[in-house]
Amino acid sequence: MSEKIVFQAVLASLIFCFVFLEGELRAQQVPDAQLIKDINGEELQELVDSYQGEKAVLVNMWATWCGPCVEEFPHIIKLQRKYVEKLQVIFVSADFKKEDALRFLREQGVDWTTYFKTGGDEAFINAISDKWSGAMPFTKILDASGNLVASWENKADFSTFETNVKQAINP
Amino acid sequence: MKKRTLTTTALLSLLIGITAWAFYPADTAPVEELELGSQAPMTETEVKDVSGEMLTLAGVAQENGLLVIFSCNTCPWVEAWEDRYNPIANLAAEKGIGMIALNPNTTYRDRGDGFKDMKQRAQEMNYQFPYALDESNRLADAFGASKTPHVFLFNSDLELVYKGAIDDNAKSAEEVSRHYLRDAINELAAGEEISTRSSQSLGCSIKRAR
Repeated sequence: MSEKIVFQAVLASLIFCFVFLEGELRAQQVPDAQLIKDINGEELQELVDSYQGEKAVLVNMWATWCGPCVEEFPHIIKLQRKYVEKLQVIFVSADFKKEDALRFLREQGVDWTTYFKTGGDEAFINAISDKWSGAMPFTKILDASGNLVASWENKADFSTFETNVKQAINP
Repeated sequence: MKKRTLTTTALLSLLIGITAWAFYPADTAPVEELELGSQAPMTETEVKDVSGEMLTLAGVAQENGLLVIFSCNTCPWVEAWEDRYNPIANLAAEKGIGMIALNPNTTYRDRGDGFKDMKQRAQEMNYQFPYALDESNRLADAFGASKTPHVFLFNSDLELVYKGAIDDNAKSAEEVSRHYLRDAINELAAGEEISTRSSQSLGCSIKRAR
């Protein structure tokens, strides 16, 4: 009986290590230049528009210096993995140094292209949303037709993200 | 029958309300930013300055106006702009405008934004202006401030004439192309029309009590 428990524990640990390392390895395989690219407000708008008719989009403005951004980051990664066919997460870092963002993305196991804000704040904020004051973090979610489903400043919990994403996926 | 319908409606409304509340983003207090032309709110509310003195906005204001900056100890954007705090304070004083910085980060009092931390920061950075605790972020709520740093400039009648950012380049004072706040102070003191009345910038969200 006890052997069975030990076996189950070992198996569970192995599965956990595999899942964890697999994500890490995938992230390591993405070259730096692909993992984070420069983007200005206009280009971001074009990128968001390019998903119209294909996928819902979640844009998240974050930075490593922003505590609430760091706290909610894993929720968004989880959502991207869960709804990979129907949702595209677009992370945009407002870090002062790209290396800081890159290091954090690797730690978090992000394995798709994310972006690094360039250009002046004002133009960028205006391009993203007239409801955004510039406070970080900021999230906006659009359905596949490009309609705004929700946007908010400050951090949110997983269920809030998921509720809005589900609404965007099944409008 | 009617009573039952009423009860059902009331219960349904309650349920909808609770659901809406439950799914509202955590830590988000919807704030309406003060509109241009509005009177400065809560001007008689006492706030504790790092000197230990109790101050009010009305008391800080000088003959030509009042400058309020929501600031904190824990935001890199504050740090980036901080080299401009004292020059702005000196300019404001020279132009007859009183300046105060308020720290509204209620949930970060034990994470670097406590009163002791503020005292230390003011000393280290040699702040030439009062730096006071905005307890329970009451003033930030009344102003509709959303981030740090967030600037509000009032005229001699304490009407809002400029709001937003200090300038357009947090990272480098030398590379600023638009000195929003400095220009607004100069224009206000000269009795001229404020050329840019609001601006936007990135900043750290205010850590509000829910």
